[in-house]
Order: sequence, then structure tokens, then C-alpha cells
Amino acid sequence: MMGGEIVALMGLLGLSSAFALVGVVLAGWMAWRIVEKAGLPGWAGLGSILLTLTGVGTIVPLVLLWIFAFMRWPRDEPTGGASGFAAGATSGPTGPAAPRPTQALPPPAMKLADGRGWQLAGTVAGGAAVTLAVGGVSGSYSITGAPAAQPTDLCLPDPSVGTPHARLLTASGRLGLEDLGSPGGTFIDGARLLPEHGPRDISAARAIRIGTVELALSRT
Amino acid sequence: MAWLLGLGSFLLFGILLLHLLVALVLIIPTWRIFVRAGFSGALALFHLVPLIGSFIVMAVLAFSVWPNGEAAPGRRLT
Repeated sequence: MMGGEIVALMGLLGLSSAFALVGVVLAGWMAWRIVEKAGLPGWAGLGSILLTLTGVGTIVPLVLLWIFAFMRWPRDEPTGGASGFAAGATSGPTGPAAPRPTQALPPPAMKLADGRGWQLAGTVAGGAAVTLAVGGVSGSYSITGAPAAQPTDLCLPDPSVGTPHARLLTASGRLGLEDLGSPGGTFIDGARLLPEHGPRDISAARAIRIGTVELALSRT
Repeated sequence: MAWLLGLGSFLLFGILLLHLLVALVLIIPTWRIFVRAGFSGALALFHLVPLIGSFIVMAVLAFSVWPNGEAAPGRRLT
């Protein structure tokens, strides 16, 4: 009788160990994928999970989790190649009223013979149709909910649009968009654009959302 | 008998409180990770699910496409 209980207990312990092993492997794999998505080496995530098996316990992985959450991710680092517009990006979120200097755009990797402009068309609160048009030449335009005070201001009269809300940048057939930290948010094809992302190339985007205003992007 | 039930309730309350505290320590950083990834931060509340909560949170982050973009393979540190 006693032997049976011992066997049963050992079986239970074995099952628990198997579950623990599967759990650690699964967690390590998922941690690898998560940190890679943020731009960090995958082994860092796996290592932090494996640390729980050592005498260090769970405190160090917990601290690493906090560091990972609040550190600057390589994903958000500005690039000079792929997007191009992010070359002048600054770090950290900015408030809606924080003035930011106009950033010079880097030269494109290949000169494009395209002088067409861009058009953002949509409907603001109240049902009024609005169209924002920018030329194909290099320039910087401010999207704001307030009446246009300068020639480079693009007025989007909607309560959800900040003053200013975002910045449009044009250079050599490319169009960039930078969020200025307005609470309404800026979205590129449904993906949230944050101030820390800096300017992003939206030349291939279809829909831009400024606050609650949906705008369709097209060439003129 | 009543004192035993009282002790059990007290222990249960203590375990629940400890679980909430541990979950909170996990929820705060995970909330920020979700927001930075482009998800709703409320998904971090899955940590409140006993035993498998952390696995659910990690699975969401690991196997879904991040709305705010992911690091391109060429930009990942090795």
C-alpha cells in the first residue's frame, strides 16, 4: 500500500517536472521572440527566463522585465536607410505644445523623377469634407486643428486634432509623417505612430488617421 | 471548528493579497510593453489569471504582429 502511494507521488512529481520543463522551454521561446521584436538579441530574453532556474531566483528576471519595459528599444532608434525620414528623429515623447525644430531630410538613396504632390482627403466632425494638399517639392507642413496661421499650416478643423498635431514632410517624391504627441493620436494604416518613432515614410500608406479624422492618401 | 474556518479564510485572503501584489509588479511593466507594441495596455491584466496568466501575456506579445511595428531583421542586434 505504502509502495503504491510512493509510486503515485513520484509519478506526480515527474509530471510536475515535465510541466515545469515544458513551461520553461515555452517561456524561453516566447521571450526570445518578444525581445527580438523590440530589436534586442533573442538570447537576452531566453537568458532572463533561464535565470529563474538558477539560484538567482525570480528577482533578477523581474528586474530585467522592468528594464525591458522602460528602456529605449533598438526598434525605435532612428534609421538613415529604410524609412529615410527617421534620420532626424529625436528621442522621447514630446508634449503637444512642445516646439520642435524643422528637421532636414536626408537625400534619397536614388533620385526619383516624380514632381507630383500628395493629397489627404477625408471628413471632419460635422460632416464637412476636407482636403490637405502638399506639393512634391521638399518642405515641412504642420497639421493643426487651429486656423492656419502660416502658409505651411494645414488646417484640420476637428476637436480631436491637436494644435499642432503632426508634421508632414516631403522630399523627392516621398512623404513623411511625424506625430507631435497630441492626445488624439496619429495612425498609419491603423498602426499607431508615436512621437518617439520620429518621422516615418508614408509614401506607400493608404489611410492616415489624425485624431478621429480618417484621411485617404493619394497622389495629385 | 469556527476558528479553523476563520484561519482558512484568513489564509485565503493572504494568498489572494499576495497574488494581487505579485501580479501588480508584473502588470505595470507589461502594461507599458503592450502600449509600446501598439496593443491595449489592459491586456497586461491577464497576469491576474492564476498559473497561466504570464504565459497568455507572453504568447500575445510573441505570436502577434505588433501594430506599432517590429524591429526589422536587419536592425536587430545580434
